[in-house]
Amino acid sequence: MKTLFHILSFEWKTLWRSSTLKILLLVVIGAGIYGIFFGKFEIDKQQQRIAQVQQYERQQFDSLLVWVKLDTTFEANKEKYQKAVSPTGVGWNKHFTYYLTHDAPPAAGLCLGQRDLFPVYYGFNVTDLARQVNVGELANPMKLLTGNFDLSYVIVFLFPLLVVALFYNLYAGEREGGTLSLLQSQPASLRMILFSKGLLRLLIVWLLATVLFVLGFVLQGVSIGGNIALFFQWLLIIYGYCLLWTLLMGIVVWLRQSAALSAMMGLGVWLVFTLITPALLNLFVLAKEPLPNRAEMIHTVRNLNDQNWEKPRSFVLDKFYPENPQYNPVDTTDFSKWYYASFTLLDKEANALKAQFEEQVKKRNALLKKWEWLAPAALVHERLSQLSDTDRESHLEFVKEVHAYHQELKDLYYARIFKGEQFSSDDLQTLKERL
Amino acid sequence: MLKLIIKKEILTALRDIRLQISGGILIVLMLTAVLVGRQGQRKIGVERTKAQSAMYDKWLNQGNKHPHSAAHYGQFAFKPKPVLSFLDVGLDNYTGISVFLEAHKQNEILFSAAQDSNGMTRFGEMTAALILQVLLPLLIIFLTFNIFSKEREEGTLKLIHAQGLSLRQLFLGKVWGTYLMVLLIFLPIIVLAYLLLDDQSVNLDGGVTMKFLSLTSGYAIYFLVFVLLCVLISAFAKSSGFSLLLLLGLWIVSCIILPKATTNLADKVYPSPSQFEFRKTIKDKVKKGIDGHNPSDVRLASLKQQVLDQYGVSTIEELPVNWSGIAMQAGEEYTDQVYDSEFSKIEEIFKRQNRLSEWAGFVNPYLAVRNLSMALAGTDFEHHIAFARAAENYRRAFVKKMNKDMEVNHKPGVGYGDYNVGMEMWASIEPFSYQLPSTGTILSNQWRSITALVFWLVILFFLANIYAPKISKL
Repeated sequence: MKTLFHILSFEWKTLWRSSTLKILLLVVIGAGIYGIFFGKFEIDKQQQRIAQVQQYERQQFDSLLVWVKLDTTFEANKEKYQKAVSPTGVGWNKHFTYYLTHDAPPAAGLCLGQRDLFPVYYGFNVTDLARQVNVGELANPMKLLTGNFDLSYVIVFLFPLLVVALFYNLYAGEREGGTLSLLQSQPASLRMILFSKGLLRLLIVWLLATVLFVLGFVLQGVSIGGNIALFFQWLLIIYGYCLLWTLLMGIVVWLRQSAALSAMMGLGVWLVFTLITPALLNLFVLAKEPLPNRAEMIHTVRNLNDQNWEKPRSFVLDKFYPENPQYNPVDTTDFSKWYYASFTLLDKEANALKAQFEEQVKKRNALLKKWEWLAPAALVHERLSQLSDTDRESHLEFVKEVHAYHQELKDLYYARIFKGEQFSSDDLQTLKERL
Repeated sequence: MLKLIIKKEILTALRDIRLQISGGILIVLMLTAVLVGRQGQRKIGVERTKAQSAMYDKWLNQGNKHPHSAAHYGQFAFKPKPVLSFLDVGLDNYTGISVFLEAHKQNEILFSAAQDSNGMTRFGEMTAALILQVLLPLLIIFLTFNIFSKEREEGTLKLIHAQGLSLRQLFLGKVWGTYLMVLLIFLPIIVLAYLLLDDQSVNLDGGVTMKFLSLTSGYAIYFLVFVLLCVLISAFAKSSGFSLLLLLGLWIVSCIILPKATTNLADKVYPSPSQFEFRKTIKDKVKKGIDGHNPSDVRLASLKQQVLDQYGVSTIEELPVNWSGIAMQAGEEYTDQVYDSEFSKIEEIFKRQNRLSEWAGFVNPYLAVRNLSMALAGTDFEHHIAFARAAENYRRAFVKKMNKDMEVNHKPGVGYGDYNVGMEMWASIEPFSYQLPSTGTILSNQWRSITALVFWLVILFFLANIYAPKISKL
């Protein structure tokens, strides 16, 4: 044990004197800090957009609350009052557009994941949801392609390179520097010396990762105490990932080749695991299992919508009432009832189809998942985005929330529409509480 | 003498087991990327064409109805998969692939492949482009990092010089020797890729051969730039180890770090609005008028007066034409006008962002070849915009035709449900088709990237010319 500490402290002194190490560490720290700020910038941008949408929604709803109290004996107030109290809206304008936002989870800024591919808010009224969620966010596809320079990127891509740079001349450096025979004449075995040297380097990498990670929490203003489980899970994954690369480089060192060849081999391993295998997997899976043609869904909805309009009203209502017995079929000729009933049919059809597509997509992604272990970089990135709640799954969860919220609103609206009633001031208060 | 050097370089390289292995791996990867990529591209291409014609069939067979109902029923436009996208998939996985075209509304181009995949997609797809842009330069580094230092370390440099060979000639010999090695790997596979193109590809894109040749030349220049750069650095590096470290560092910065940093920076320099703001601006401007002083009801009233005056009548009922048809088309055109002006703003922001990375090609040749390659493969932002335009123009044309029919033939006094047209009307709308931009357009769009590549080539030859005689022989 004493020798170990002795070697460690000696190796540390040697390492610390080399300017290469300092430059390397500076570059990685610099990249890490840039990544932290970049992540914060992106999340702040998303949060700003969310705040903007929410503010607009509140403002709009507040005017409804004012309008409902207007004195309708004045002719000028009548239209506004109608706009506030009519659940079916006035003319072709719907009563109100609600927004549901996908707030950034605490550690989103550390790993932006797939969040940039999807909208972080949806706006919808109580007509069919199917046609209202077919929106994206305005984004430069070039930016989506090149991806985000966040902390997870630094860890997944650049840390392995740091490991390669620290390890490639672990043995060859001594041999080519002429110090190998000196080492061999020491009482400690060469294996012990090399192991200690490797251990020290691993400790440096771990320490650096920890420092950057803690900095990430601090600089992004995320509380560590409040997210303690997340914090340690992240840290564990990072440590494991660095250890994996250390072991891989251990094999390279064990081969005892020249420094140049070891560096090339290290880089080769890096290329294989971070670039080549994921790219090959994507190539094969995309070629083998093309994605479903989702335009089919829009077509189905428009087709049903077309039928709803072309056929007599009973076409819709005869299907609607048996499935929604809570709405009493008193009047089957009323336009509004037919109109709103038709949206339920559209959504039902669309959801069934959507579930089918999702099944297809899941099957395809399961194929990618099955081979994920071949691409540890992709695997770790996926786990980190899972932990940070920024993966595709997190967006699907959000879409589920949108569906639930839409249904909740619909229940409130339909209760009035199918009784032919208007909103009272209290109704609007209830709705406001659900914003 | 130059030939001798070239021959020697190639022979040494071919005998090196490390290069045999890495070259072999590259060739296998290239073959896989090209063959599987072509297969996948063809499959997707066929599927989209099928979807497009199936949707047109549905349009034709929608039954008899009012022309305006048909405009609501709408049509679809599918983005054709560009033939050369199997060489460079570019933005294709991140842009939407189809758009629903209907009355009153400009829908978004939706359903990108990336949205339907898990995080793995973000690691890119193995294509010829990835190999040629990122991996082949690495092979060049392995070929050249000790091309001078090794001779120096073994003392052969002095010997060669004593044979009466000028250092400039030696330098060029090493450059051309390495370059020929690179071409040896590059050209056979590129020829194979060319042979994979068939009549169908030419039907899809008439300029495919020209694009292919330009693409090949672009890469040929890029490789020469990289070879020159590496040989130059290796000639002046103190040791093989240092030269390797420097070259690998450069490679990591220019192929891995800078591309990401450049794009992210561009996004900060030229911020874009959100979808919400964009849609809200359009809605507001349609309602209040583009200048804010011409609200929709006023516009409608003045149009009404104008039409009444034109036909010399005083009420809508007396008009010989259908007022709703006229009003609807006018509304459509006003929205289009607002949409165009707002959309071109967004487009301009994105183009500015992309232009930053085109200019960055002068600092980083990788960016130059990346942008050029994407453009020629038909998978860059310009192509996406071209498709969006074509689809939108198609939408406007068929909606206009429906509105016009309503204006002229749907006589006043006839109920909405009582005026119907059918198949003949639907068939008068040609199916959507879209021609990819020509090679000339693409090359002129990409003048920055092309200039950057040529700039690099010239500068490096110039530097080589000046500094080659100064290479240390010891």
